[in-house]
Amino acid sequence: MMSLPFVLFACAVGAAWMRQRGVSMGFWALGLIAMLVLFRFHVTEVLMIQL
Amino acid sequence: MSADLSKLLNAIGLLAISTVLALALVDQLWFGDLPCPLCILQRAGFFAAGFGIALNLIFGPKPSHYGVAIVGAIAGGSISLRQIVLHIIPGTGHYGNDVFGLHLYTWAFIAFAAIILGCAIMLLDDRQFSRAEPMSVRLKVLPLSALLLFLTLAIANIASTVALCGAGLCPDDPKTYMLLQGG
Repeated sequence: MMSLPFVLFACAVGAAWMRQRGVSMGFWALGLIAMLVLFRFHVTEVLMIQL
Repeated sequence: MSADLSKLLNAIGLLAISTVLALALVDQLWFGDLPCPLCILQRAGFFAAGFGIALNLIFGPKPSHYGVAIVGAIAGGSISLRQIVLHIIPGTGHYGNDVFGLHLYTWAFIAFAAIILGCAIMLLDDRQFSRAEPMSVRLKVLPLSALLLFLTLAIANIASTVALCGAGLCPDDPKTYMLLQGG
């Protein structure tokens, strides 16, 4: 699951290479969403920054 | 700035991002410094930002492509900032080796800030967007090399992440490659 953003970004670069700008932007947006969702899953530790 | 010069600068920028990603892989494979989940997501952030630069190389410079790079860099920078804040209080530990006194997530934040600054500076010149002359041949090798390296590193990161985390989420402090250990 953690490799999903890389897969989507690689697909985005591949689609751009094939001159499919709209498709590549779609892959990029999905990759960004996947990245942020995974970030949310991994941000479980409470910050302790009280001085 | 001509479109050709813009393309050359974008190729250098994409090579710089690829160098950062390649060094992260070297640190992982050569020095055995396995990446944490947030480290992996910061690598993904570099791909999100680098994709905007790649669009400039493939389709020519456009403000929207710089926007893509800036959005990707903000997302990646947010993740690295979160990791910096996790360890900002003395005595709260750190993750991984340091390089010139700063840990890799701190360097990542600096790199993301540099990407945003670089894109902002490039956006200051409008002449690159009104391209009348055809792209010159001499610039083709460098952008192509940068794109190939970027795509290769994306595929390498897919393999590395699958080997490290398998099909699920990564452990917070990985000690070994999950796939090679059979789960």
